[in-house]
Parts: sequence; structure tokens; C-alpha cells
Amino acid sequence: MKTKMDFPNINERKAEGLKPDGTPYKVLVVDDSMFVTKQISQILSSEGFDIVGTANDGQEGLEKYKELYPNVDLVTMDITMPKMDGVTSLEKIIEFDKNARVIMISALGKQDLVKKSLLLGAKNYIVKPLDRNKVLERVLLSLK
Amino acid sequence: MMERVMDTVTEENRKDRLNKERMEKIDFKMVTFSLGGKDYGIDIMKVKEISKADRFTYVPNTAPFVKGVYNLRGEIISIIDLRIMFHLPAEKKKEGVPENIIILRLDEYLIGVVVDTIDKVVGISSETIQPTPSLFGDINIKYIKGVVNHEGRLYILLDVDRILGAEREEVRKEIDTPLLKRAEEKAEAQDNHQAVDFSFIIDTLATFKKFTVNSINENWVRKRFDEWKSDRAYKGEDFQLKDPVEAEEYLSAFYSPYTGRFWAEEYFKSFEAFLPELTGGSFNVWNAGCGNGYETYSLAVLLKSRYPSSMIKIWAHDNDLLNISNAPNLLVNPEEVPEKYHSFLVEGKNGYQFSQVIKDSILFEYHDLLHQSSFPEVDFIVARDIISFLNPAEQEKVFSEFMDKLKPGGLLFLGQNEILNLEGWEMVDRGTMKAYKKEV
Amino acid sequence: MRVEYINPFVESAFNVLREVLNSDIERGELYLKSTSQPVLGVAAIVGLAGDVEGRVLFDMSKPTAIAIASAMNGEELKSLDDLAKATITELANMITAQAVTKLHELGFKFDLTPPAIFTGDNMEITDSKVEALIVPVILPQGKVEINVAVRERA
Repeated sequence: MKTKMDFPNINERKAEGLKPDGTPYKVLVVDDSMFVTKQISQILSSEGFDIVGTANDGQEGLEKYKELYPNVDLVTMDITMPKMDGVTSLEKIIEFDKNARVIMISALGKQDLVKKSLLLGAKNYIVKPLDRNKVLERVLLSLK
Repeated sequence: MMERVMDTVTEENRKDRLNKERMEKIDFKMVTFSLGGKDYGIDIMKVKEISKADRFTYVPNTAPFVKGVYNLRGEIISIIDLRIMFHLPAEKKKEGVPENIIILRLDEYLIGVVVDTIDKVVGISSETIQPTPSLFGDINIKYIKGVVNHEGRLYILLDVDRILGAEREEVRKEIDTPLLKRAEEKAEAQDNHQAVDFSFIIDTLATFKKFTVNSINENWVRKRFDEWKSDRAYKGEDFQLKDPVEAEEYLSAFYSPYTGRFWAEEYFKSFEAFLPELTGGSFNVWNAGCGNGYETYSLAVLLKSRYPSSMIKIWAHDNDLLNISNAPNLLVNPEEVPEKYHSFLVEGKNGYQFSQVIKDSILFEYHDLLHQSSFPEVDFIVARDIISFLNPAEQEKVFSEFMDKLKPGGLLFLGQNEILNLEGWEMVDRGTMKAYKKEV
Repeated sequence: MRVEYINPFVESAFNVLREVLNSDIERGELYLKSTSQPVLGVAAIVGLAGDVEGRVLFDMSKPTAIAIASAMNGEELKSLDDLAKATITELANMITAQAVTKLHELGFKFDLTPPAIFTGDNMEITDSKVEALIVPVILPQGKVEINVAVRERA
């Protein structure tokens, strides 16, 4: 006969944003929209991820990555941004750190740019509007 | 001061009545009604009937006192609001509450006037009608015949002829188009009775089908009218167009051949007579009012056959979204189209459609002719049966646009029963079809 | 406006709005306007390039803009502040991008340019004599007019 102790307590479900050792994954959010940055940050931090930095364009994203390196586990990168777009920034980040994990965020789906990003080394992509489940699923896949 | 004048009038009338009691002759009857709190009367000889109506069709570009037009058992009459005409305080009638109307008649001319409440018919002696006191300020004095006192009430007698005259001017006034002669101007020169009948046709075609009768199509409309009248008489029916269905029946013979259908070989031949030797590598056409695209595809097939190695470009426009939405993917039944089309058809999973070569040569756009358009000068404009469904101001605008968009020496094709007699355009008649050349 | 372009815009507006607002969207009848001038108070504009030149304009009143931004952020915003503006801009971007994606699938090469937002005080009046297709959308937060003005590149 199974006792109560054999069933996992729902309240103690492991937060998705924690590494096996219990520390949070560190995320850098690069997006020129205040709204999208807020959305991604909220979704991820609610699952225990630690948002270690945000950037408004590709150039700033690259600089922040270099600054925070090696303490960034994942970068969420918007494709369309002023000054330096997401694909160029991705390219330069990978150049700097070939193990960088970058996931592309885009409002355009199946576009040449998304394909190009994947070829350049992006781990995955998410098409807007952002759905909480989709974001978490893709982020976790990228972290494997 | 006003009251004193009215007291005097009342007193005089009472004396009159007392004096002529036995000799009173009632030789004038009036329909009485109230308007802005006062009592009015109208000569009963001018009144056709009294009615209630709740829905008028608004007529734009008329004076504010013209409420609109009303369908009175098949007759279209103008309705004017005397309260507005005379700047009187109007009762705020609730939506859907029918208004009181007195239908007035002058010869063959009918008009309805909206009033506050209708009272009764009062008989008086015309001798008791007093001239209008000059201090009557609150109503346009020229519309008043006089005042009369009856059983203690003072009635203001309205001059119907004057009122009708003002209205007639307003409602009949159309936008001044010096370029295109209004059919009515000509109508007036002819037999008056015929003219009135015909003007009803003009009115109802405009009301029900937005069809403008003028020099563009008048010849056809008149010929059709004779045919229509005898046809209806034979059936024992009145010639008047009572609803959109009858108006459509009247117009059914108007439309150009192959409207809503793919063109047949004979029509191609008529058109071919106008095709020039191609000097440049391209041929541009503006197809205005393309509907569901049959006309457009037919044109494309014709041009591609005739100019196989040239770039054909057709801008096909319509402002009916439902119709034109289907055009890009129009299905074709090869058995229902002439041989000429076959090499331009490809089979898909839903049936046959036009080949990419044909589709690439056509740009179907949801577009309003009256708005600014953006495409280069064209060699041909094909605008069949479009102009007649625009009002005069719109027609002028469109013709000017046609002039702008056509290359010098280019051709304009109108409907089979549309004729253009406008400066700057020269008619080219090739027997079975006419076109209009933009003069260089 | 080219017939094939219409559905992608109508559908993507419908899809995106329904998803981000999580409520029923009513579509009004499409019609053509002779000018592309925004009229309601707040306008978010996304430029279009590629096979065509033109832009998509999202026209709405200020209260509607604030209400939509509030709904999308899951919190009550008191004014059209930076966050609200960024939210409306992003909405315009998403709808236009999804339409452009659909158009790519149909073989039309469209490109987007970054969106901008204008309010009554600094409304631009560029080339307003261009014909526009109006897609009226009725939301619980108010009416939004999606105003598309494009023309084929010569």
C-alpha cells in the first residue's frame, strides 16, 4: 500500500529555471522592445531563472555578453533591432564564445533570417506572440 | 403689439360673421394643421391626401428642409419639413414614430410636407380671408396667402404654389455639369406628359440602381423606355419602376455583351480590330470595374495571343470586395471557353485555372475609382458599364482620370450602350464596337 | 490594394489580437478610404518594403491604447507611458510580421521596417492622399482601425 510520502508534493515541484545543482540559470535578454523584455523576464524569473542583464540592441547585447562572460547560460536575442540586428550580434557572440547558447526571438516565422541564425549556431527560435509554455519549452531545449 | 393686431383681426372677423350669418357661403375649404405651436391651413384643392410616414430616403446635396424622398405606393415624392423651412421649433419625434404628412399636388407634381399634427377640414367663406399682417415675423411671409379666423381660432393660410416652387428648385437641382448634358434639359423641350413619365424613370433608376441617365446613355434609355412602356401596357401593368427588381429588369438589356462571362471568338474579333502594331515591348491596360475577372482574363488571353512576345500588364480594379476577391483564383471549365483559351489553362487540384503567364500579367486590386491610383500610363482603358453607375460629379472626376492615365492616342472602351461626346475624345467606330481615342 | 494582400492582414490581425487579448474579436466590414490619415488619436506605424512600398497603421483612441496595453501586460496602466507605448508598438509589429510571413508563403517578398508610435500631438501627415484599406476591429477595449496603404513598386 502506497503512503502519502511516496507521492511528490505538488508544492515542491522543481522550478524549471534551476540547474541540477539548485542554482538558477543565468539569462541575458536582448530586445529593443521594453514590453518584450518585460514579458520574457517575467516568464523566466517566475520559473526561477535569473535575469542577469538586458540590452536594447545587438551591439549592447554583445558588449554585455563579453562583460558577463562566463556567467551567462543563455541569451534570448530579438532578430529585428536598430544599430546591430540580432543575427549579426549572434554571429559575433558565437565568434567570441563558440559555446554560447543563443535562442532567437522573432515576429517573423520560418524566415531566411531564422534559418540563417540556426546555421550560424543559434540553438532554437521562438515566434511571437510569446506563449509562456512555448518559451519555457524552447528555452529548456536550448539549455540541454 | 402683435397681440393687438391679432385682436383687431379677430374682432373684425367676428363682426363679419355676425353680419353675414344667414348669407354665409362656404366657398373655400382648408385642411388645418399645427406647426410650431400655431394653426395653419392649406387649400383642400391642393391636397391629394393625408398620410403618415416613418422612413424617408435621404437625398444628398439638397437644402435642409428637404427631408428626402418617400415611396408612396410606387410614386416617388419629395418630402419637405415645413418646420425647418420656416425655421420653427421642431418637435423631437422619436425614432420610428411615423410623421404626419400632407401630400400636396400641383398639376402632375406631388410633394409631401411634414407637419406636427393634422387637425380637420374647415369650410370658410373666402371673403373672410384677411391679408397677412405685416408684423408676422416668424415665418417666411411670401409663403402666406393670408390669415383667417374661424370659431375663435386664427389660421395662417399657406401659399402652396410658392412652397412647391421653392422645393422644386431645390430637389431637382443637380450638380452642374456643363460637359455632360442632363437628360432633363432635353426632356423639357418635348411633350410635357412624356417628359414627366420619363423623368420618373430617371428618378427611379437613380434611386434603385444608382444609374445616372444623361448624354452617355440617354439614347439607349429612351429607346428602352418606349419598348418598356408598350411591354408593360401589354401586360396591363403600370410602366413605373416600383422597386430595385423592376429597375434591374429595365436595365437588363443595357449591359455589354459577355458581362460576367468569358469572351467568345466573335467578341475577340471586334476587339482585335482596335489592336495596334506593337512597337514597344509592352502593352498596358487599365480594366476599371473588372467585377469577378471574366472580362480581365478574356483581355489577357486576347492580348497574349496577339502579342506573344510582349509584356502584357493589366491593372484590374473593382470596389466590390466580394466580387474581386475571387478573381485571382477563378476556376475555368475548358469546355465552356473557346479554343483560344486552352493553351492558357492549367489543371490544378480544384479544377482548371489560368496559367502563371496569364496570372502574372494581371494585377487585381480592391480599389475605388474615385480615389487616387498609382500605375503608369496605359494604352487601353476598358471600362464597360461603369460610368453610367456614377453620379455626374463622379463621372467628371473619372473622365479626367481617364484622360490623365491614357497615353496620347490611347483608346477608351465604354459599355455597348454608352456613348461619349466629350471634348478631347474622338470616336473610333469599327462597326461592331466603338472606342474613344484620346486626342493628341 | 492587391487582392492577394488583403487576407493575410485580416487573418493575422485576428489571430494575434485574439491570442494576446485572450478574448473575442469582432471584425467590421472592410472598406477603402481615399486618404491614409490616422484619425483616432494614437497611431502605431510599421513600414513595408520589398515588392511594395507603403505601411500599415494601427489607429486607435488613447483610452483604447491604454486598455490594450494594460491587458497585454496583465496590469492596469494609468497612462500611455513608455511601457504602454512599447506594448502597442510590439502589437503592431507582431500583426504586421505575421501578415508578412503569410505573404512570403504566397510568393510576395515583403519586408518590415521598425515600427513607430505617434500620438495626437505629433501626428505625421505624410502622403495622406494614398488610398488605404481599412480593417476595423472591435475589441472589448475599443475599436482599432488597421489602415493598410501599399502600392506595387514600379
